[in-house]
Amino acid sequence: MKRNLIIGLILIFSITLTGGEKFSPDKVTIPLSFDYYYSYEMVVTAVKKLNKAFPELSRLDVVGQSDEGRNIYALTINNPKTGKELDKPGIYVDGNIHGNEIQATEVTLYLANYLLTNYGINDQITSLVDRKCFYIVPIVNPDGRYHFLKDGGTASSNRGLRRPKDDDGDGLFDEDFPDDLDGDGNICVMRKKDPDGDFKTHPDDPRLMVRVKKGKKGEWKILGSEGIDNDGDGKINEDAEGFVDPNRNWGFDWAPDYVQSGAGDYPFSGVGLKAISEYVVNRPNICMTWLFHNTGGMFLRGPSTKSQGVYPKGDVEVYDFLGNQAERMVPGYRYLISWKDLYSTYGDFGEWMSMTQGTYNFVGELYMSSQETFSTIKETEKKKRALSEDDEGGGGFFGDKRLEHERLRFDDHLNQGDSYIEWKAFKHPVYGDIEIGGWAKLSTRLSPPFMLKDLVHRNASAIIFSAKHTPEVSLEILKPVKIGKGLYRVRTVLSNTKAIPTMSFHSKLKKLYPEDTLKVSGKSTRVVAGGTLIDKYTDKVLYKEYKPEVQFLTVPGFSKVEHQFLISGKGEVKFHYSSRHGGKLLKTIKLK
Amino acid sequence: MISKLLISVFSVPFLISFLIGGQPDINFTKYHNPKEINKFLVDLVKSNNTISRLHKIADTPGRNSVYVVEIGDQVGMKNKTVPGILVTANFGGINSLASEASLFLINELIKSKEKRSGFTWYILPVGNPDAAWRYFIKPLYADKGNSKPINDDKDDMTNEDGVEDLNGDGVITVMRVKDPEGKFISIPGNKKLMKKADWLKGERGIYKLYSEGIDNDGDGKYNEDGPGGVDVSLNFPHLFKPFTKKGGDWPGSEAEVFGLFKFVFSHDDIAMTMNYGDTNFCLIPPQGGRKSQVDMAKIKVPERMGKFMGIDTDRTYSMKEIMEVVKNIVPAGFEVTESMVASFLGLGAIVNPIKGDLKFYEKISENYKEYLKKVKLDGKRLDPKKAKDGSFVLWSYYHLGIPTFSMDFWTLPKVEKKKKDKNAITAETLEKMTNEEFLALGKEKIEKFLRSVNAPKNIKAEFLINGVKNGVMTPKKMAGFMKNMKKPEDSSAGTPEEIAIIDFSDKKLGGKGFVEWKPFDHPTLGEVEIGGISPLSKIVPPKSMIGDLVSKQVPFIFDLVGKLPLIKISDVKVVDLGAGVFKIKAWIENRGFLPYPTEMGKKNGRIGSVIITLNGKGIKLLNGKRRSIIKSIGGNSIESVEWLVLTVKPTSVRIKSETRIASSDSISVNVGGKK
Repeated sequence: MKRNLIIGLILIFSITLTGGEKFSPDKVTIPLSFDYYYSYEMVVTAVKKLNKAFPELSRLDVVGQSDEGRNIYALTINNPKTGKELDKPGIYVDGNIHGNEIQATEVTLYLANYLLTNYGINDQITSLVDRKCFYIVPIVNPDGRYHFLKDGGTASSNRGLRRPKDDDGDGLFDEDFPDDLDGDGNICVMRKKDPDGDFKTHPDDPRLMVRVKKGKKGEWKILGSEGIDNDGDGKINEDAEGFVDPNRNWGFDWAPDYVQSGAGDYPFSGVGLKAISEYVVNRPNICMTWLFHNTGGMFLRGPSTKSQGVYPKGDVEVYDFLGNQAERMVPGYRYLISWKDLYSTYGDFGEWMSMTQGTYNFVGELYMSSQETFSTIKETEKKKRALSEDDEGGGGFFGDKRLEHERLRFDDHLNQGDSYIEWKAFKHPVYGDIEIGGWAKLSTRLSPPFMLKDLVHRNASAIIFSAKHTPEVSLEILKPVKIGKGLYRVRTVLSNTKAIPTMSFHSKLKKLYPEDTLKVSGKSTRVVAGGTLIDKYTDKVLYKEYKPEVQFLTVPGFSKVEHQFLISGKGEVKFHYSSRHGGKLLKTIKLK
Repeated sequence: MISKLLISVFSVPFLISFLIGGQPDINFTKYHNPKEINKFLVDLVKSNNTISRLHKIADTPGRNSVYVVEIGDQVGMKNKTVPGILVTANFGGINSLASEASLFLINELIKSKEKRSGFTWYILPVGNPDAAWRYFIKPLYADKGNSKPINDDKDDMTNEDGVEDLNGDGVITVMRVKDPEGKFISIPGNKKLMKKADWLKGERGIYKLYSEGIDNDGDGKYNEDGPGGVDVSLNFPHLFKPFTKKGGDWPGSEAEVFGLFKFVFSHDDIAMTMNYGDTNFCLIPPQGGRKSQVDMAKIKVPERMGKFMGIDTDRTYSMKEIMEVVKNIVPAGFEVTESMVASFLGLGAIVNPIKGDLKFYEKISENYKEYLKKVKLDGKRLDPKKAKDGSFVLWSYYHLGIPTFSMDFWTLPKVEKKKKDKNAITAETLEKMTNEEFLALGKEKIEKFLRSVNAPKNIKAEFLINGVKNGVMTPKKMAGFMKNMKKPEDSSAGTPEEIAIIDFSDKKLGGKGFVEWKPFDHPTLGEVEIGGISPLSKIVPPKSMIGDLVSKQVPFIFDLVGKLPLIKISDVKVVDLGAGVFKIKAWIENRGFLPYPTEMGKKNGRIGSVIITLNGKGIKLLNGKRRSIIKSIGGNSIESVEWLVLTVKPTSVRIKSETRIASSDSISVNVGGKK
């Protein structure tokens, strides 16, 4: 009760705060604009308005609530006139599972906006929306986005779930947050003039510092992130919000907190995550999934730990096909294997998707700070040579220091200084005279707004390409051949013209769910024998011993599967094809 | 008659009626079904609402409620000051005795203030009620699955082909049918039992085996998709195995388990768990020997990480070495922990019990064995089951990081293999004997020998003696006959469990533990025989044994809880350093036998530290912390904390020790003389 009251107050407070100009939900209009980042309330307004503007093509659901009680929304895009949701291949797209990785939401909103506003205008989009079903969850972690945009922070704060955790083991929970001492909405870095410090002013740019060599006199001591020692334990900012990482709390290959920090107490301890898992489980037609994050410019696929081994060859081929295409569409982004090329993760959402739900899953790591360039062509070439060949770009985990100069000049001239907070004097209760400054919250991991539209469009295009390659299966019944008295040989051909198979190789191998079925039925006919046609010229058939009228199969990508049935009797014979990912088909023939 | 007698013998201690009128009655002369158990709990809490409380933690797929009953003097208190004991039972569903044991414990706690005091007891009597019902419904069969519909054979139907009690005896046993492709034979020495034919021994298969039932869906398979769902006992996170038939989709995918997750993590006072089921950590300490993912002393760094860290990835590193490297490359102010690095490098989980913990397990096992001797339950019996991957007990030890115990209460009595009589006559000894030597054996020994080799009854010792005397028979000839004779039934053929159940069935169950093979005309398989071991009889002892088994073994838990860590402030010393400066030293003691926390608890960091706070008016802290942390205190061990304070006037300071699971303590001392 008390908790609800507090949340209520927070919500009211936030509305009055964001009631002003830029972040007002009133500013959200259809078509959506992608000039700056939306607040949580604006995103909610955006999906509501999209749904209202396109009621015949969309549905808005509340999937569940977050730990602090905010709604998690899902927008479904489906044309009911062309079929039910579950009868079409489903594409699930989400973003902002990490509260600070906000542009991920913009990609999902852009996709929704693009599909809906181009329906009936662009032939390819119209056809896509008619044949597929899109499930879009713009914000997985609404508490994270809310606090990231509202509270003072860094580009990495408010990442996790709002579940209190005693980070420093002193028996108190979340008692020492960073503090926005200068009240500018950013948690920056504190530094103090100190000859014993490890850093000195950078010779080329006074805003930057470089480490001094051992034994040399320093100039600056870096005191960590902006804040005070709230709990008086001698440490500053050591126990902030959480930390349960919403992308380590899923049920596949989950490992506890001591193995990997942020795991949470048990799989799906995050209430919103559990709700989303149920939402996905209840939509077995989902076969392609995209989960957006920042940063680094990557399209990641599993496995996410080495011990998972390798994916089946057939699945790797599908991933390579889609991943290479995504690399082409988003310049500079790399298609990578998560554990091998990045790091191991246990209990992440993507692996849960592909391993337990049998989808093809990509994690999109949006943006690279190395895109913040300020160089002539010659300078660019020189820089490329300087950044050694083995450096794979992307800026490492904490941003490539060698690029910081250029990023500052980029900020000075293309962003008019919005991304960097100049060092300013401050009187700290413990350290005395210090300076506060550094990269702003909305920087480093987030593209400046003017680059946002390019980012969302290119990434949404990668999704659209994969959606086009969800299974499209056709069923052909070849002309029956009479082979005896009242006995016919009937051959069927199931073809998939797209890259994604009707069931992933992994799902088939691990028997996650039943394969597709092809059922033959007729009132006055009987299937005497039936099976997979191995060679149509030599009439080689793998006959099924029991129940030949029900065949189990998978139609691989860019491929077909043929069956042969020996049917006795006369009259109508129905052929039902049914697949989780390949839809449903019915063909009827008559035996004379 | 015998059972009646047993009941009357045990009725005094076991037909327990409550001392206070109007309270629910329970006795331990029968097994209680989940409905009866839940009704008992509801009634119990109603009439004892000051010392008990009921928590519904889940609704099962089979629409049963899973309850935890809380008993103690602090029920309902938010911040309890006494440790909590979680007792769980019967996650497998088929361990009916485990549920009775938990009911016995509940009864003891309600009856006796002395027994319940000092702890809060959380007891979950039926972890898997859907499966637990199976013991009470005919036909009987052993299935640990809850009632979640699972398409076991991944065809186009779910739960379409379960077992059937074809012979109507109320038990699902085995069908054997002669088949050219059969791989099984009846065991040569023991026709009741079946085994796989061993071609190396010249055996050829005769039978195919099926569980009792028909092929309901006509797919050529028998009983391959019955109503049983997920085995709740395998659905916990430690070493959970994905993609198994019965373990569930992911750890906690089942409501029963997820409900328990939520319960445990919202009851931070839980200091120990005891599980009643098929393992026994009191008897046999948790087992090691699992292959670990990574040797923490020799960590291999992936190439990409190595580049980033600037180290050679051809060699291996210790965690300490890696931490040194990492500390130098992260931005200033960014605190890196071992767990963060471990997760970056994908080092994985601890999979074997830690040595330090095994020490206390081994000591407790000694105590338990002595205890069993005292209560006269130390007879030789089959071993308890090993803890399975994904089980509650492993989760409790490895993830909760608290002392974890388990008891199984009963397994079949072991049948000792009969020692071979060294002097017994065999074909080999016979072959080498002279006529005289044979006759010297005497009538008695020869008679014994004849019966032991299964000789026809009409052949008597005199017949052989006369034969040898008359020269028509020699020992060598006899050896030849023996070799061609049918071997006698050997009750020691078969697995130890099979032998044990047949023996137990004969001696205690009136033969009901084994269904003799009888022909049956099967609709699709034709002539079959139905028979074999009655599946639950080897798991659930007869009801007449319940009272004795639980009343003698359950009380061991009172010994165990007495060993839990108990953190107290044992002494405080104030030293005047002059000029108003004082040194304060406090000794914090663990008076319990068990360490705070366990080694595993230290490793996983879930059990918080002992927090020592110092508060006093007018003091200035010169050194030390207002909240000091002691990460661990061993069993019967002591640690200390020091402060340097400045005070102008005499004052009093209050020192408090706080833990989540090992109680709290506080003490006031004067600094600078009496105030």
